[in-house]
Amino acid sequence: MKLLYKTTRDYLIASISILVITGIALFTLLRKEVGDEMNEQLALQADKIFENAHSGNFINAPFIKIEKVSGRTSPGQTYGDSLLYDRVQKKMEEYHYIREVQDIGQDRYQATVMTSHIGWDQYYLSIFYIFVLMAILLTGSGVLINYLSNRKVWGPFFGNLKKIKAFSVSSPDSLGLLETPITEFKELNSTLKDLTDRSRKEYLALREFTENASHEIQTPLSIIQSKLDRMSQMEMNEEMSDYIVQAKSGVERLSKMNKSLLLLAKLDNNVFKDQEQVMVDEIVFTQLRNMEDLWANKQITLKENLRKESVFCNKYLIETLVSNLLSNALKYTLKNGMVEVIVKGNSLMISNTGTKPEFSEEQIFQRFTKNATNITSTGLGLAICKEICTLNKWDLAYHYENGIHFFQVTFPVK
Amino acid sequence: MKLLLVEDEPFLLDEMETYLTEQGYRCEKATTFEEGQEKLHLYEYDLVVLDITLPGGNGLHLLQILKSEHKNSGVLIVSAKNSLRDKVDGLQMGADDYITKPFHMEELNARIFALLRRRSFEGENEIRFDQLVINLTAKTVVYGNEPILLTKKEYELLLYFIVNKNRVVSRQSIAEHLWGDHYDMADNYDTVYVHTKNLRKKLAYHMNVDYIKTIHGMGYKWASA
Repeated sequence: MKLLYKTTRDYLIASISILVITGIALFTLLRKEVGDEMNEQLALQADKIFENAHSGNFINAPFIKIEKVSGRTSPGQTYGDSLLYDRVQKKMEEYHYIREVQDIGQDRYQATVMTSHIGWDQYYLSIFYIFVLMAILLTGSGVLINYLSNRKVWGPFFGNLKKIKAFSVSSPDSLGLLETPITEFKELNSTLKDLTDRSRKEYLALREFTENASHEIQTPLSIIQSKLDRMSQMEMNEEMSDYIVQAKSGVERLSKMNKSLLLLAKLDNNVFKDQEQVMVDEIVFTQLRNMEDLWANKQITLKENLRKESVFCNKYLIETLVSNLLSNALKYTLKNGMVEVIVKGNSLMISNTGTKPEFSEEQIFQRFTKNATNITSTGLGLAICKEICTLNKWDLAYHYENGIHFFQVTFPVK
Repeated sequence: MKLLLVEDEPFLLDEMETYLTEQGYRCEKATTFEEGQEKLHLYEYDLVVLDITLPGGNGLHLLQILKSEHKNSGVLIVSAKNSLRDKVDGLQMGADDYITKPFHMEELNARIFALLRRRSFEGENEIRFDQLVINLTAKTVVYGNEPILLTKKEYELLLYFIVNKNRVVSRQSIAEHLWGDHYDMADNYDTVYVHTKNLRKKLAYHMNVDYIKTIHGMGYKWASA
């Protein structure tokens, strides 16, 4: 639920309850006050009538009446309401009256004084209308104020929210938050700025560490590799040569992994800034030719459909992307399988026959995802592809259908 | 041929010196920027193998000094940083080639061989072994008077063997040489086997000695002796 809805709803419920309570209170109070006032007036009039009657002056006027009653009528005051026909308005009107019984001399007299009052229904209705009007005005103004302040006060907040959503510690742009006059938002902004600056700093340190670590590993790896090569030159028995071969394969894996990690770190560091117009079809063609013998050796049928397609990017990166996708196709196509490469209409599609992967389609581009059976794979090749595509804002999709793996890179439409 | 090896890692430098000396080069060593600068100033070299990260300064700066003194040495940059920037800068500053650590000695040797050939032989550029003549310009192989038709990969393989003769060349090293090392595909040993088998077959048709020896598990060796 949006904050605006929530506050407006609460505000509406509160104002309606307050209006109902105050309306009822107002009505009761008014009724009591007016009633009391009327009774006082009637009592005063009755008092005056008896005062006059004592001096022998019996007044009879419209709505004022004094008459003799039997002695059984008990003396005192009673109030009541009655309906009388109004000749002018031609309808029954409600009247309030007082009946006072007093003794004058030997006789007992009863005086009746009446006064009209507006029917209570009328009061009900009037108050109801006024309160409905108040409710409409209050809620209307409330919603309007909320809406306007939402645009003015919340404007920078939503702008900043959008920026935070788009923010990534790996992107070189800093989080430029919009200024706001509201203290709470100012506080939020400064906290956010602090937080993002700190995460970026830590991220950069980590990134630098990864790159440096990978660099530092290269030289010791070179030493191990060259010394193992040196040992291979010597006369030795089969057992020793087996050990050396195993050690070498370990070094080779480590070296490949390290190179991949270094490339990933560099992609994160966005060092591939030199861009140019590159012909995708030519890169694919060259690499397919370089791999000709590799396809042939696995008796893989290669189908190509390469149309002219150029893209503006770093050449080394697109070469890496293509070679990683092609070597992936080579690795996972079984003997006598088929690989199809299509370059056309802003996209590069590579499909190959193969067995279903052991992981879900979404996981395929994650680092270190690999089939348990393929221990020598670094599990980084496709992660690198994904990173290259992300960096260039290309779409890289994968799906597996009817025994065929499909990889598709979509370049932006020119 | 006189080589200067500038490398700060003694074990690696030692290995480079040993192998390149075996290959018939005269090697001198420098382990720091200053030492390199001094040697470059005093002597002429056919080729300098230059590490970029050196104690005392950047190898690229050494390259600058070398070029400013108009020395006609070839330069092969060796770097632990697989950095494109360094590569582009280095090549623009006059380096002839660039190789990234970790590398195989055979690859370094093949690069040095190609580089020196490019620089010092004009026109006819052939190497001979027994009666085998390899024309590096035309990329053809002739035995006696009969041409041997090799595929591109077989030709490269043959050259790699001959340049690194008498050395056990591992399958990894061959795979990287044939398909490039930025491929995630250097584990195509089956194909290395197939190429080697085919090359042997083609050579055996003309020659009665099989120079290519299989070394159990390790790889192959072009044994001239």
